[in-house]
Amino acid sequence: MDFGFSEENEGFRAEVRAFVAEHVSAEIVQEMHAADAGADVGPLTGALIRKIGDRGWIGMSWPVEYGGRDADIIDQYIFEEELARARVPLNLGNFIEQAPAIMKAGTEAQKKYFLPRLVQGEVTFALGYTEPSGGTDLASLKTRAVEDEDGFVINGQKVFTTRAERSSHIYLMARTDPDAAKHRGISIFLVPMDTPGITVRPLWTLPGGRTNEVFFENVRVPKDTLLGEKNGGWNIGASALNLGRAGARRYCIYVSPFEDLLKYLREDDIGQEIAADPVVQDKVAELYCEAQVARLFTMRSLSMVRRGIHPPYEISSEKIWGPEFQVRTTEAASQILGDYHQLWEGQAAPNGGSFPRQYVNAMVSTFGHGSTQVMRTAIARRGLALPKD
Amino acid sequence: MDVLLNEDEEMIRDSVRHFFEAECAMPRVRGIEDGDQRSDPELWRQLAELGWLGLALPAVYGGSEAPFTQLALLFEEAGRALAPVPLHPHSVAALTLAEAVERGDCGGLAETLLSDACLGSNLLTWAWSERLPNIRPEAIELSAVADGNGWRLQGGKRFVEAFELADYCLVAARTDATGTSREGITLLLVEPGAAGVSSTPQLSLAGDYHSEVRFDNVYVEGDALVGRVDEGWALAQPMLERAMVLNCALIVGATRRAAERAFDYAKERIAFGHPIGSFQAIQHTCADMITWVDGAELLTREAAWHIAQGMEAALPAAAAKAFTNERCQAVLREANQIQGGYAQVKEYDQQLWYRRAAAWSMRLGTSIEHRRTIAHAIGL
Repeated sequence: MDFGFSEENEGFRAEVRAFVAEHVSAEIVQEMHAADAGADVGPLTGALIRKIGDRGWIGMSWPVEYGGRDADIIDQYIFEEELARARVPLNLGNFIEQAPAIMKAGTEAQKKYFLPRLVQGEVTFALGYTEPSGGTDLASLKTRAVEDEDGFVINGQKVFTTRAERSSHIYLMARTDPDAAKHRGISIFLVPMDTPGITVRPLWTLPGGRTNEVFFENVRVPKDTLLGEKNGGWNIGASALNLGRAGARRYCIYVSPFEDLLKYLREDDIGQEIAADPVVQDKVAELYCEAQVARLFTMRSLSMVRRGIHPPYEISSEKIWGPEFQVRTTEAASQILGDYHQLWEGQAAPNGGSFPRQYVNAMVSTFGHGSTQVMRTAIARRGLALPKD
Repeated sequence: MDVLLNEDEEMIRDSVRHFFEAECAMPRVRGIEDGDQRSDPELWRQLAELGWLGLALPAVYGGSEAPFTQLALLFEEAGRALAPVPLHPHSVAALTLAEAVERGDCGGLAETLLSDACLGSNLLTWAWSERLPNIRPEAIELSAVADGNGWRLQGGKRFVEAFELADYCLVAARTDATGTSREGITLLLVEPGAAGVSSTPQLSLAGDYHSEVRFDNVYVEGDALVGRVDEGWALAQPMLERAMVLNCALIVGATRRAAERAFDYAKERIAFGHPIGSFQAIQHTCADMITWVDGAELLTREAAWHIAQGMEAALPAAAAKAFTNERCQAVLREANQIQGGYAQVKEYDQQLWYRRAAAWSMRLGTSIEHRRTIAHAIGL
């Protein structure tokens, strides 16, 4: 067991930190927040992504042949952590979340097209899984893709499709065989968002961001949009989703309310007065322990992936512990800071009004990307081999 | 950064587990609990023979000088097996003697005791707590007054493990009451059979005995000194941290086994025509149990790693102990709940793990005390 980062890792961390200090301005962060709130993606963001891509930091742990640098996955973690710690609202993990599936199941032509473009940030995917009639029970999805001589014709609807309005493609799960058992008749398509017949409608969320509904009306796509085998999409999709639940960015999201709380209690005059109460100290210390567990679960997933072990249940534990810790923190913070915790804005708002945002954000963590209930069932069945019936 | 076990660590974990599975079945554990011996001398001899009593002790005394992380793994397995031997007090005392010798602050007696400690030909224990159930320096009131080359002890200790079985007890005493609570503490080796020492063993929830010890004008020679006079806190603080982490390892090992028993039970027990492990209420409880015990294990191993690296360990040790005490109790509670009525029955084995792991979580400082340490360390 080794719980420390190597000198090389720390050297890379310093390099990323210096990059962030030099190239990430408050103006850029502002522009990104505006894009999250519905504005068009601004020019500064695009320029920053190109700079990051030029340094080879997107998909850096991939094999060289796919445009990566074969870098230590720990360095990839550090890169994501440093961006998240600087509160840069840029989720580069999302850019490349689908890459492992393309590496695994894609044709040579698909790999050649998508992987270098993902690394450069030219291709971005929105995740087309959840539908109005099912998210948790993903395999019961109803969007249909019917094959004909030229390709496939897609009809149906997706929901909670975050970033659909600014992604170049959608990573779409659709039913290709309605007569097969429900996991067996599903395929995955890599569909350009500008294909005729796709419409995107915004759904505005409590944390101040945007997600979407996406409608497919007689959307005609060529055969080479199919990823992997027809009707073999379930296994490709499920493994990509599992790995998307781990990593630095999520860990930083889980612990950021705790870090904000601690900072306020240590540094603000009123915070210090509140923190003089031993009952408050006890609560915060309890949260501190829980934050360490969130960190260690992330480190464990990372250690396993690095060794080439596919974690049977550990990522699910991480995906329960982190979000529920985040919720416990925000609820505790609300009772520690009281009136101050509700302020979105104004001079009296601690930390520029981050607390109410953190509060509603936490809610999203426990159901986004797989609900905690589904995670618990996965641990019981896959991790502990408890029977299905 | 790789929080999983490396090859050496897997090897020690596996060999200790195989040994205990072969040699330390539950009838043996029950035999010691129900008998008068309070420790299994044959098991102790075997552990010595395998070199595990000296696993993390210096090679010059016959130890293996393995990193502290490996000792923590040995303790996880001892907890899992409920090994009925006083491994914890013996190791805590021996590691402290070794540290004192390494600092050049200890005489010949400590060196002799360390050689015997590796061989298992002696048994060491230690005594810290007095009136209040905490591990802070202000707890030390037992007085030691200089007398010639030695000291005279007056006062008492509580919650001392294996005191009547031990050859020597490492006692924290106050040699100077004028400074701060950290100043004026001195560590002294006392023979439990010395004139003026009296003790009363008291049965604990774990089924072992913790002694109430009186020191009435007890004289110890100058060579009883471990470390420096009045500066005992310098040795006591790392001693307490090691003790906490090894205690966490015992709790984690036993709790994991108790949880696994509940998972197995849930697969076999049929209710309403189905194994109860197929019900979501049970499945989700089991998912929480494994998540909590994994969390406690990672915190414990990280704290052990800090100690092994010679890094500052006060904060990680406090975090491990604060979390492990409470979360492992919760795992045990749920394990009992899954096994229902059987959990309360003495002839059913579940209670053996439950009582011990629960009692261990009541030792070496409460979660509340450790959270106070944490709050201070993180700047509140």
